[in-house]
Amino acid sequence: MIRLENVTKSYSADVVAVRDASFDVAKGEFVFLVGPSGSGKSTLLRMLNRQDRPERGAVWVAGRNIVDMPPGRVPHLRRNIGNIFQDYKLLLEKSVFENVAFAQEVIGRPPHVIKQQVPAVLELVGLAGKEDRLPSQLSGGEQQRVSVARAFVNRPLILLADEPTGNLDPATGEGIMRLLDRINKTGTTVVMATHDQRIVNTMRKRVIQLDRGVIVRDQARGVYE
Amino acid sequence: MLARLRYTLRETFDSFRRNATLTLAAVITAAISLLGVGLTLLSQHAFDNLLARWEGGVEMIVFMNPTATSDQLQLVEDALTAQSQFIAESTYCDEQCSLTEADRIFAGEPGVRDLLNEENILTQYKTVPTDETDVETLRLVSDAFSELPGVYDVSFAEDQISLISQLQSFFGFRLLMLSVFLLLAAILLIWNTIRTAIFARRREIEVMKLVGATDWFIRIPFMLEGLLHGVIGGALASVGLWAWNTQWTNGVQSFPDNSGFSALVVVDGYDKTVMLIMFVIGALAGAIGSGIAASRFLDV
Ligand SMILES: Nc1ncnc2c1ncn2[C@@H]1O[C@H](COP(=O)(O)OP(=O)(O)OP(=O)(O)O)[C@@H](O)[C@H]1O
Ligand SMILES: [Mg+2]
Repeated sequence: MIRLENVTKSYSADVVAVRDASFDVAKGEFVFLVGPSGSGKSTLLRMLNRQDRPERGAVWVAGRNIVDMPPGRVPHLRRNIGNIFQDYKLLLEKSVFENVAFAQEVIGRPPHVIKQQVPAVLELVGLAGKEDRLPSQLSGGEQQRVSVARAFVNRPLILLADEPTGNLDPATGEGIMRLLDRINKTGTTVVMATHDQRIVNTMRKRVIQLDRGVIVRDQARGVYE
Repeated sequence: MLARLRYTLRETFDSFRRNATLTLAAVITAAISLLGVGLTLLSQHAFDNLLARWEGGVEMIVFMNPTATSDQLQLVEDALTAQSQFIAESTYCDEQCSLTEADRIFAGEPGVRDLLNEENILTQYKTVPTDETDVETLRLVSDAFSELPGVYDVSFAEDQISLISQLQSFFGFRLLMLSVFLLLAAILLIWNTIRTAIFARRREIEVMKLVGATDWFIRIPFMLEGLLHGVIGGALASVGLWAWNTQWTNGVQSFPDNSGFSALVVVDGYDKTVMLIMFVIGALAGAIGSGIAASRFLDV
């Protein structure tokens, strides 16, 4: 599903965010990216949906090398990839329902599909009954659930999560992890960057560890350190 | 498709509301500049009316009495042909032709025009001099025609049009320059309004890009917004032009007879053409301003 081949990305001559990274992620896998702050986790995730491009190496996603993909094809790539962020990135003046529906609207899904799929996915993330609230009327955990619903509503092949539990207390974070686990069990490949030792250690999924842009460990059913 | 249209319109009008002040500034500037362009075109057309008689390089006209016989006409024609070294071309403008011309010349004085008919209209020989002929030479040989039977009068373009054409080019050029600069200001204002609208919605745009909206899908509501600025400007300018033209035309009718300016009006529907032109220029200005803004600032 995802394959990196000798990928190097630097922001300037002395800031090399990712250095010569290679790995494979099979369809349906769940992968943690760990490493200290500034080790290149976010940069790596951003290269998977073409928010960033490496100077060297190849990034294969769903059978295509996306490094040289023409800009016109990028939207179609992204329709297969859901994104979750530490700060949720919700639209503050839109309701819960509208936030999720927005992800369908902007790729041209017809209203009857939206009316049917948005409530279903809100049910899945445990937000049934809160469709009309604004993000400001939700707890952090609930806001992150909205963002999970938005990432998942278009049934992506891949879900990229950048510290999705970073702003949440442990119990709430676990709730989000159970959700991601369920989504992973439907066959969606999940790649998640995190600092959260407890989560990594309890889930026992594959762990890829970065240090100053270099992959120093790639371990199946791994632990944080 | 319908969902897309609804989305686009909703976003466009939302943006109008949020950005009311800037939008108003952009629309007003567009309207005034377009009105300037429109008035330039309209006044040029009116001046052309005033000079209708002299179109096509005509420098001298031999006016014939309505009662002139065909023998008398032939005589004048022969005399004109005899001067072929000074006269490159002479065409006869008969009753019908002269009446059509009178429609334009007396556009501002319909009362006068109504008095003219096939029985009393002066017909004309319009003559274009050869390249080498200066008008003074033409004047010297003109005695040869003015004495002929059936001839009413001989007129020279020089005597009538120099002032008018000077006024025409003076006003035409300066008004147009003014309008072009204003139009530039309108484009910049539209550009700035759209840029602000895009900036205000950068979070939405970021999310749209992440979930895979195409650039065009994101861009079109903004471009439509700019296009509407231009088109609304065109509509306001059209109303202004219509009011201006109506009042001027009415005003001209109260000028004293033979003021020489009675033809300085547009009544032949050319004002509709000008309105169309203003709409097109307005739409273009809007498309250019918003198109540049949308392609440059989408990477927020
Ligand atoms: N846009 C940018 N311009 C310049 N340098 C950048 C940019 N983004 C990241 N970097 C640098 O690249 C390196 C990797 O950053 P990245 O954000 O990928 O780290 P991270 O592992 O996600 O860190 P954290 O755990 O704090 O989120 C850092 O040294 C950072 O300063
Ligand atoms: Mg990061």
